Amino acid sequence: MSGSRWRVAGVVASLLLFGWYTLANFIPASVRKESLWFPDQGIRLGLDLQGGIHWVLGPDLAVAIEHELDVLRASLQESLTEKKVTPARIAVENGQLRIEAARPEDTATIREVALESKVLEAATPDGSELVFKLTPAWEREVRHRSIEQMLEVVRRRVDDPIQGIPESVVTRQGDDRVLVQIPGGQLDREQARNLLQKTGFLEFKIVLDEAPSEEVLRKRHEEGLPPETVIVFEKEKGSDRVLGAYLVAKAPNLTGESLTDARSGMDPRYGWVVNFTFNSEGATKFGKLTGDNVGKRLAILLDGQVYSAPNLQTRIGGGRGFIHGRFDSQSAADLSVILRAGSLPVPMKIEEERTIGPALGADSIRGGIWASLLGFGLVAAFAMVYYRLAGVYATAGLLANVVFLLGVMGMAGATLTMPGIAGLVLTVGMAIDANVIIYERIRDELRAGKLPRGAIRTGFSKAFWTVMDANITTLLAGLVLFQYGTGPIKGFAVTLCIGIITSVYSSLVIPRLLFELYPGNRPVQTLSI
Amino acid sequence: MFELIRPDTHFDFIGKWKYCVAGSIAIILLGLAAIPIKGIRWGIDFIGGTEVQVRFADGVKADEGKIRDVVQSVGVGEPSVVRYGEATNPEFLIRFQSGSEEQGVEQNLIVDHIQKALTEQVGALSVDRVEYVGPKVGAELRSNGAKALLIAFALILVYVGFRFSIEFAPGGVIALVHDVLVTSSIWLLCGQQFDLQVLASLLALIGYSINDTIVIFDRIREVMGVHTKQDLPAVINQAINQTLSRTILTSGATLLAVIALVVLGGEVIYPFAATMAIGIVVGSYSTVYIASPIMLLLTGRKNAGESKPAPKAKKSGKQAKARA
Repeated sequence: MSGSRWRVAGVVASLLLFGWYTLANFIPASVRKESLWFPDQGIRLGLDLQGGIHWVLGPDLAVAIEHELDVLRASLQESLTEKKVTPARIAVENGQLRIEAARPEDTATIREVALESKVLEAATPDGSELVFKLTPAWEREVRHRSIEQMLEVVRRRVDDPIQGIPESVVTRQGDDRVLVQIPGGQLDREQARNLLQKTGFLEFKIVLDEAPSEEVLRKRHEEGLPPETVIVFEKEKGSDRVLGAYLVAKAPNLTGESLTDARSGMDPRYGWVVNFTFNSEGATKFGKLTGDNVGKRLAILLDGQVYSAPNLQTRIGGGRGFIHGRFDSQSAADLSVILRAGSLPVPMKIEEERTIGPALGADSIRGGIWASLLGFGLVAAFAMVYYRLAGVYATAGLLANVVFLLGVMGMAGATLTMPGIAGLVLTVGMAIDANVIIYERIRDELRAGKLPRGAIRTGFSKAFWTVMDANITTLLAGLVLFQYGTGPIKGFAVTLCIGIITSVYSSLVIPRLLFELYPGNRPVQTLSI
Repeated sequence: MFELIRPDTHFDFIGKWKYCVAGSIAIILLGLAAIPIKGIRWGIDFIGGTEVQVRFADGVKADEGKIRDVVQSVGVGEPSVVRYGEATNPEFLIRFQSGSEEQGVEQNLIVDHIQKALTEQVGALSVDRVEYVGPKVGAELRSNGAKALLIAFALILVYVGFRFSIEFAPGGVIALVHDVLVTSSIWLLCGQQFDLQVLASLLALIGYSINDTIVIFDRIREVMGVHTKQDLPAVINQAINQTLSRTILTSGATLLAVIALVVLGGEVIYPFAATMAIGIVVGSYSTVYIASPIMLLLTGRKNAGESKPAPKAKKSGKQAKARA
């Protein structure tokens, strides 16, 4: 009896512990965080229950590869110049680097220099042009690098200390995707798009020439634009009407990379603006750039579009400035977040979306709660009607199972999704299976003429492996689902796996213990089963 | 004792196996035949596409045709629009393949366009759900789903082969394949769509459904060891009868819980719950009527002619004795 006393103590202690964690889930997070008694962490509700935006973003890797080839093209050109070779044409097209030799005897040199880098390999030549592409290994490296940078930038934007989106999660999914989860209607989809998908590439360029429209500008340069220059536009907000065309150099004089901070603010003259601060290196460059070009205009471009082009009246020291033009409070705040977080290395596409409105999420929670209660009630009623006292014991086991399951999930900070609730209901149904197996065996033993005590002992020990087999096969299926499932389905796998483990424990241990308490050693002749 | 099945019941299960196998094959063939005629309704999870669920405000008059026209007007080709929910608060599910992506418009924006157009031309609404699966992700989910199903099958077989006699395997596998095929056939014949939730349910089902089969096979071995003189059909019948109450009770209890989900769980979880419910019924039926006859056909023949069971059977009978 002393052995079973210890077991009772163990079960009671574990029930209290997990019961505490289960209870904590029903207490608001704010209260939990302030209280010393309750754990901070609890079960998280999946986005399908609380509503929210679930996006899987994929980088446009073709762009990343073109960028890389562009860099290689520049260095290749340098090396060729050293060797006194000037190709007739060198360009990046469709993920390939194409070079046309000016003289036939240059071909060998070009090939040698290109392959020297070990990151380019020859592709099938096309006409008179030499064609190169990235080696598979280097392409993988480029992919890997861009996804890492992307993850970093998206994370910084979402976790921004001032304008961030609380409780949001940014994780990598698979090899080349980023999963962003923004719970509970904090942003609408358009805002989220602005915040996440905007590349946020800020450039400062001195304006070489300007005109109200492209045609006027082109007319002025009828012999063609000066080398290494482009025309960029300033457009009216909303209508996309061109307000001005500017001739600027292709390469920026300074980029947003050297910023340390950006804040939205009000300016009496321009309305909403974004104030920025350079780091010390950036500040020096910015001072020199503005000092050298007093009297000219400085175009501030975001993602290739001119936001403003102020006249430089004096050298701007201290590394501070602001961007104005076409902002309202929201877009100014969004831009400041993007500038603080840095620009995306490549554009991203939304490849998968599972967004649930809060209303539907609330419907699901309500449905899930009622279904769980009904499921539990039906199963418990069946057990108690069919197995009487033993059924009451089984129901106690079921209840313990729910407490353990919710407690473990709370402790681990696991996510509960709608399929997860289904998994919970399913485990309740499957937990009673174990008791049915055991009780039917006990009945067999009783029919064979055994006394209750012996029948109980044999029933539990003989049914043990059957119960284990039944649950292990389901656990295997659950583990496969966990490995291959995504989003809410993964939630199902989580509750199924945890639930199987807790249900085996509670349906084997709890009723057994209760049988030991009553009838225990009492010389009963019949068993209520 | 409250007994559903009296311990001395003697149904002749094996005698009816031909009808049952024929019935199952008929359902599977019907399901297969329906594929070229009706086509499988794949969920967007597997073929890619967009689903938008909208709920109009009270009193807004909306119907499928009108919504289809509005959706088409923003440049979506062939949307399917289904209405459900109560009459006062109409809800619609708009579904389309993402054809417009090639024209450079991101799906994400299209949903916003649809929302705007519907608000302007039909009435106030809220977007309850947006699901979009791009072509790349769809292909991945498809191959992962197939992989998951195969791996789950393989793992369970390895486990069963490891824990029990390998002779159980053929009957067990065929019963599992049967369960998956019949359940999906019934589901598809009901005109429902096949998505990730259904796949998850099938996976959980094969893990669950193998158990009954194992218990009966075990009992068959046990009975074989005791009644060495009986012929195999009689042995199998006896084993099924002995475990019948167990088979019905365990499936019945799980079914009770799952039915609660079907009835109260709500629209989101319905595909999962419904296929699970079908699968549990199909699974216990196959245990009794499909797995055992197959065992009889495959392994039974060679034993049936002998007056004594093979020594191997005796050995595993002993092992099985320790089991319920």
